[in-house]
Amino acid sequence: MAKVKIATDWLAGCAGCHMSFLDIDERIVKLLEAVEITSSPVTDLKHPPKEGVTVGILEGAICNTHNIDVAKMMRERCQILIALGDCAAFGNVPAMRNLVGTDAALKRAYLDAESVVDGLIPDSPELGKPLDRVTGIGDVVKVDLFIPGCPPSADSIFFALSELLAGRVPVTFPPQYFKYD
Amino acid sequence: MDMVNITMNGQKVSAPPGSTILQAAEQAGIDIPTLCDHPVLISIGACRICVVEVKGQRTLITACTFPITEGMEVQTESPQVVKARKFIIDMLFSERNHYCPFCEASGNCELQNLGYRYGLDHWVYPTYTKAFPIDSSHKYLVMEHNRCVLCGRCERACSDLVGNHTLGLRNRGNSSMIHCDASLPWGDSSCISCGTCSQVCPTGAIFDRRSSFMGRDEQTEVVKSICSGCSVGCGTEIVTRAGNVLRIQGDWDAEVSGGLLCQYGRFDPLYEGRERVTKPLLRRAGKLEQAGWDEALRAIADRVGGARANELGVLTSSNCTNEALSLLDMLFRRKLKAPNLGLLNDTAPEQIEPKGWLADIAKSDVILVVGADPVKDQPVSSFFVKRAVDKGARLIVAGGKDNGLAPFASMNVEMADVNKAIEIAGRAAQPIVLYGAGVTEEAAGVLKKLQGKAAFVPLEPGVNTRAAVAFGFTNGFKPSAVKVLYALVGEQDCGITDVLKGVDKNVFLAVQASFKSPVTERADVVLPMAIWSERTGTLTNTEGRVQKANKAVDPAGEAKPDWEVLSLLAEKLGKRLGSSLDEISVNASRQLK
Repeated sequence: MAKVKIATDWLAGCAGCHMSFLDIDERIVKLLEAVEITSSPVTDLKHPPKEGVTVGILEGAICNTHNIDVAKMMRERCQILIALGDCAAFGNVPAMRNLVGTDAALKRAYLDAESVVDGLIPDSPELGKPLDRVTGIGDVVKVDLFIPGCPPSADSIFFALSELLAGRVPVTFPPQYFKYD
Repeated sequence: MDMVNITMNGQKVSAPPGSTILQAAEQAGIDIPTLCDHPVLISIGACRICVVEVKGQRTLITACTFPITEGMEVQTESPQVVKARKFIIDMLFSERNHYCPFCEASGNCELQNLGYRYGLDHWVYPTYTKAFPIDSSHKYLVMEHNRCVLCGRCERACSDLVGNHTLGLRNRGNSSMIHCDASLPWGDSSCISCGTCSQVCPTGAIFDRRSSFMGRDEQTEVVKSICSGCSVGCGTEIVTRAGNVLRIQGDWDAEVSGGLLCQYGRFDPLYEGRERVTKPLLRRAGKLEQAGWDEALRAIADRVGGARANELGVLTSSNCTNEALSLLDMLFRRKLKAPNLGLLNDTAPEQIEPKGWLADIAKSDVILVVGADPVKDQPVSSFFVKRAVDKGARLIVAGGKDNGLAPFASMNVEMADVNKAIEIAGRAAQPIVLYGAGVTEEAAGVLKKLQGKAAFVPLEPGVNTRAAVAFGFTNGFKPSAVKVLYALVGEQDCGITDVLKGVDKNVFLAVQASFKSPVTERADVVLPMAIWSERTGTLTNTEGRVQKANKAVDPAGEAKPDWEVLSLLAEKLGKRLGSSLDEISVNASRQLK
């Protein structure tokens, strides 16, 4: 049987969810018998293949226009989209800036911070443009499965993938795998 | 009693008339989630989480406020109910900052538990991001308005339990927020730092500065004990982690206090700044040096054993256990025949019959406070008084315009005019008299006119004063003849004159103390004593109720519980007075009777 293709990517996150994914440890060997990880921030291929994958996994919140592009590309190229972690599900830490506003947050970080010398708010055209409001990815693309957690435990990630591989959709988390922190 | 029969989820449930659906469910072991409701607070049905379906009712109704009626059919988890609860939870999470990973309450949060229970895995509604201020002006607590769900528990605790009315709600709609005294910073408000609000807050909106982020419920251990901050004897829960006390909570099941504590009980013990005595100290060649227990006890035993009975003096703090007081009494008064034993605080006049209970305050229509300032000295009993005043009881305070209860009184009289107060109390249906050490002999005589009419509750100064008096320790200490003085100072903050006023300056001074002080510096021997969190023993409260205080952590250094120090000293003097706590406790309670 052909392997199930998985692609992952990260948005406004800290990479912790991907670390947690790698924390499934030796179980990844077993997992790789059934799946192929096509692209991810930790593999050579960075973008999901044009021909598409079965499962797309996104970590991190939507905080700039670049994040929207990445989320939309993943959504177009996968059948089942997983929002991995609290940032992707809710906004979480990046969304803290909503409480002060994007302009104030940028000013504080790049101009007013005690360690800043000759501060400048980055505005290179290569960078995404910061949004006024940080959100979970569900606000810009349709999400099929949310795995909350900061980060979600390796067990809950492995559980979710195992359930999907076994064809049990929608995935229902038992309490020990459903945590917000 | 006739029971009301209803069915809940098809199950037959019976509960007493007047029970709410929530109470009936609890009795039957059916779990209805709640948020604004709290067992010790008046239910207001504000959050709507507890909604249930009742056959024949037009809409879903709140289980916490709706009384049961015969034949009622209730569904607590029907699809309609679950849909409504999910909607409410989605709405609650859509306002303010309810991100768990950086919240103090995560893991112990009632809002979080609701999210888990109903599988909230993303925001259904756009989150509304209006920022609220954080009030960190309070010495002990922080109010993080962004975590608040406006359940009003804190406000109800402040008003209905403590009678202080500091917290309230201001503004409307999504601008609503808890405020202190119509918008003062918390630290500048009329807050009396009892901390009850922090104990009822379901989220991370009100949290304790000292213990925040130091351990969730599942990582901590809880020991039930009795507060030794004053003579009321409130029930406490000492929360510890890895041998350290994190915080003190009120014990909701406590008979006297019903979960209430004051600043003396909840915060002060944890902000203790005095340095501990952790090893026995012995004066050698004029210099106080560290010593072993054996030689320190031996030094005291030699001097005590060598003194004539009338040269022996004993002074004790009331902040010690019944067991310690019993041993002091047995060793010095009975075995060594010392006539001169004193207490380091005043006492209220002896019990006037009929004896009442603090719980009677709530049932009284006239409350007479004479020669006592419970706001300052027995705060939790003042909460009971203020609560009763809120409900319409008449308060009369005799003795001093500065009395903390004076502003709440309908009448303030001088001690000399106590007759006027007694006249009014005499006309009441159920008066109660709370009297303290400030009662003059004359006034005590006048108070007796209310015998047969009023209930009498003494408000003793100090801590275990009631037991100290029962063991014959009063403030009638005569220092002049004393050559050898044993001072059980314990945790009490004593000045040198409190202990040594009028005492021969060459007196041999043995001190049993928890903290370093001018008294321990003057001492010839110092025996280190365990503090409130480190000892097990019984305490007698101001009503005469004997309650057990339990050890939560190990004593600092070589300190030992108050009774154990005395038991060891007795042994050194060749008097066996019992060596186990149980044995000494039994003796103490026999003597107290």
